[in-house]
Amino acid sequence: MTDLERKTSEEVAATSTEAAPEEADIVFEVEGLRVHYGSKQALKDVDMRIYRNRVTAFIGPSGCGKSTFIRCFNRMNDLIVGAKVEGRIVYHGEDLYANGVDPVEVRRRIGMVFQKPNPFPKSIYDNVAFGVRVLGLKDDLDGRVERALRQAALWEEVHQRLNDNAFGLSGGQQQRLCIARCLAIDPDVILLDEPCSALDPISTSAIEDLIDQLKKQYTIVIVTHNMQQAGRIADHTAFFSVETQPDGHRTGVLVEYDRTNKIFTNPSDARTEGYVTGRFG
Amino acid sequence: MREEFQSGLDRLERMVQEMSDMCARALHDALAALQSHDGASADDVIAFDDDVDGHFIAIERGVEELIATQAPVAGDLRLALAILHINLHLERIADQCVNIAKLTKLSEPVGFRPQLVDAFVEMGSRAEQMLRVAMDSFANRDAERAETLTDLDELIDEENKALSRKVIAGGTSVEAQEAGLRAMLISRCIERIGDNAVDIGEQTVFLVTGEFREFTDASHPS
Repeated sequence: MTDLERKTSEEVAATSTEAAPEEADIVFEVEGLRVHYGSKQALKDVDMRIYRNRVTAFIGPSGCGKSTFIRCFNRMNDLIVGAKVEGRIVYHGEDLYANGVDPVEVRRRIGMVFQKPNPFPKSIYDNVAFGVRVLGLKDDLDGRVERALRQAALWEEVHQRLNDNAFGLSGGQQQRLCIARCLAIDPDVILLDEPCSALDPISTSAIEDLIDQLKKQYTIVIVTHNMQQAGRIADHTAFFSVETQPDGHRTGVLVEYDRTNKIFTNPSDARTEGYVTGRFG
Repeated sequence: MREEFQSGLDRLERMVQEMSDMCARALHDALAALQSHDGASADDVIAFDDDVDGHFIAIERGVEELIATQAPVAGDLRLALAILHINLHLERIADQCVNIAKLTKLSEPVGFRPQLVDAFVEMGSRAEQMLRVAMDSFANRDAERAETLTDLDELIDEENKALSRKVIAGGTSVEAQEAGLRAMLISRCIERIGDNAVDIGEQTVFLVTGEFREFTDASHPS
């Protein structure tokens, strides 16, 4: 046997993907994060590290808090009346929820794409250029639009009809347009909240290929209901579940967070095993 | 939840236990034919291998279909993979029984000296015991018991080595040398069955712990 063959299967699985991330690669350090909507706790005490140029997936049943959690990363919960976020999310050493942090600047650097494609009722070009113009980045607007559309693997399909209305695109194309819109303002992190749930398998496959390309430049966090999708594209996977409180209220909890291959081959927690094997959850 | 999937997995596990029963029967019959110098019984063992192969293919297809349609993960995936590997090890055990039957036929009508036959029967019963331990520990998800297979395997290995001395003691005539070579091949077949039982034990440990490791590693002895 060679030295490689002598390694345990887990070591081999680890080396066959990517080297272990180091401290310097931490983009987000989440510490004791809790979210309440009014008096009801939606998410309980989450600690987690998100690493640079990796895809991190959040999976779990409905109501487990995974969408609530991803919305904390760019302060989208600020927009919900009664939402209260406690604990810390440290982004490149800076607490996102500290006094004086501008949520608009946070959302520029940490972009988000939603479940249903939501292009503006404008041309393809104006959709991509929208955020750029709002930020006053006027230099080489055409170049920015083209780069973003190319990065989103959409340029070849739309470059001859940039002035057509974005609603004329297919669902999968609209979602890639929304990704292009997000990329046009040079974000650092892309948050994807179930980006493929409204798409057919071919469009889903195109988005998954795109995510694999984009992670070379960006840090990607994705919420998905499709466990196979997490298995296919994510480097790390977090499983969230629901705990029922004595008063009957349901609170989301982080059960397990590990390398994706560990979660899908040999999870540490019986609740994770039950969910990924489809037995309960 | 996922009842169809669970019943499919249960069915495959039952089939692999049936496969093991077929192998135990092939081994038992091969040893009986050897003991009684019975060519016709040896032919039966050889013919029975077609049934074993049919069962092997049915399990392979079942696992392939289950993986393709149900996409098992975690413990379910490990079980499907363990069934696939155990099935192959069992099929090899059955092939060794065919080899023993063929060598029995080649040694007709004289057969082997009683001293050698006794050694084969002793080794063979040890191999049967190993197969039973391997499949019981798989059924019970008992990794600790699976690891005891290495101790049992050492006994077969020792008997295999001891057999060479008995062969040499058989004399230097051409007939004695031919019989001796066949005896060594039979001994080797039984010794390999023990190795396959150890391989099955390793699959049980993989199933239980999620870690694959060889119980013993000849190229890197501890």
